[in-house]
Amino acid sequence: MSSSNITSFFRQEKKTTKRKNDGGGVAIAKLCSKIRSDLAPLLVSSTDQLRSTKESTKEAEERLKEFDIDMRYGPSMGLTRIERWDRASALGLCPPADVESLLLATSTISHCLWQGRV
Amino acid sequence: MADSEMGEATLERKLAVYRNLDERFVIREEKYKGQQFSHIYFMRLHHMRSQLQSLIPKWKPHLPVNTVLGLEEGKECIIVGTLYKHMKLKPSILDEYSKERSAIPLVKPHNFMSTDDHLILEDESGRVKLAGPMLAPSAFVTGIVIAVHGKETSEGDFFVEDFLEAGLAPQVDRPLDSREDKFVAFVSGLSVGTNAFNPLQFQLLVDHVTGHLGDENEQRISSKIVQLVIAGNSMHISHGFFSGQTVAPKDHAKLTEPIRELDIFLTQLVAALPVDIMPGCNDPANYSLPQQPLHRCLFAGASAYNTFVSCTNPHHFELDNVQFVGTSGQNIDDLYKYSDAKDKIEFMERTLRWRHLAPTAPNTLGCYPYVDKDPFLIESCPHVYFVGNQEKYETRLLQGPDKQLVRLISIPRFCETGVAVMLNLRNLECHALSFSTNL
Repeated sequence: MSSSNITSFFRQEKKTTKRKNDGGGVAIAKLCSKIRSDLAPLLVSSTDQLRSTKESTKEAEERLKEFDIDMRYGPSMGLTRIERWDRASALGLCPPADVESLLLATSTISHCLWQGRV
Repeated sequence: MADSEMGEATLERKLAVYRNLDERFVIREEKYKGQQFSHIYFMRLHHMRSQLQSLIPKWKPHLPVNTVLGLEEGKECIIVGTLYKHMKLKPSILDEYSKERSAIPLVKPHNFMSTDDHLILEDESGRVKLAGPMLAPSAFVTGIVIAVHGKETSEGDFFVEDFLEAGLAPQVDRPLDSREDKFVAFVSGLSVGTNAFNPLQFQLLVDHVTGHLGDENEQRISSKIVQLVIAGNSMHISHGFFSGQTVAPKDHAKLTEPIRELDIFLTQLVAALPVDIMPGCNDPANYSLPQQPLHRCLFAGASAYNTFVSCTNPHHFELDNVQFVGTSGQNIDDLYKYSDAKDKIEFMERTLRWRHLAPTAPNTLGCYPYVDKDPFLIESCPHVYFVGNQEKYETRLLQGPDKQLVRLISIPRFCETGVAVMLNLRNLECHALSFSTNL
């Protein structure tokens, strides 16, 4: 199977330690502090939050995709991720607890990455 | 002495404590969300693998257990997985689209085996072809989980030196303290509604079981029958009615007459003793296993009695702590199509040793796409294992390596043979009851 088929729905990214956005966010904050000193703190915190939510969603999705592909817990298509986690837990396979907290807490996609595409 | 007082002591029918254990076969909370069958195979492999893993140390303790992907050429090891039998004669829906039709004969044979069949072992990581003379493909089918010992060859096959099946499951001890004879009667394949059905023959059976036939001695025997099990195909609804098209008014009678006739007979039976009725392939029930109980509204007369129990197929129940498991025949008939054995009882033995009632489901036998269980797994070996709608009456007492004792019964089609089966709960002895209307 050529990789172009997979990357259409499963984009793999290089894991980089430094992110370009860091520089951008800090630059915006500096600009704001020059123009409107009283509003600067507000602006910094909201962009920071936006950025970290996006990042954390991405990281969450990555983690969940890893959980989908892991063959120890059985096929991932045809049931929601939380159902698959519950099934793995009931079978005594000890699925990772961080996946469970991700599935219960954040608004992640409920089905596996192949759902609706196969 | 007045005539009415002579020999008029009422005989009371014996009773047995009945417990219906069909819950795992009833489809209640399951929701179909478009899932495929991979989940059943996953559950089956997971369950059977843990059973085999506890047996491997006693079998070959010095060998490592690998996954299929972890095989190294020439290294002796054990792998555990699901068998897939590649059969070139097996009918496939894709045959319609194939360009060359030479391999598939136009007249479909009853048995799809060929000398080219070969076995493949599969687990989550991959699959490998099994080679060597140890595993004869004719004795195996797709869907069973086994452990094999051998090594990978240079061609990429796995050369099998030995194999391990799970064997008979552990059995709960049968109560041995009963002193009195209590009988369970089995019948199947009544086929009410067909020309093969002989109402007089069936009425003889009903009269015998309910105690309306014969003198006091015969009635004494009948009073010891505590349960009747009807193992499928009690009626025959023409398959033309299952097409989904509206039934014309003139054909209504063809649909309802068999059901009504059966209800009349059943009402006589349930008025006398407990009756368990199971669906079969010709009954108005769902097609795929586990077949759900026949609906009460079909039996307006019989369902009024609390002795009437409509059961699933497969059926699991307990009578005086003796465990009974049985089917209406589809599981064994499917094995007969895809493998070979000296008789039907041998197929039944194999399902017990593989610890699975219907290993060919869902491959060639219709089955519900369960997500979180495989209800056909045999976790505890029954004391009585029966299969209905077979050609002839056969029985064997199977002894297991762990002191298990199972009575295997093949129940013949009553409409063809007029034979019902009687089992004695006290000692698991079995005999045939033959009814004939030929003078």
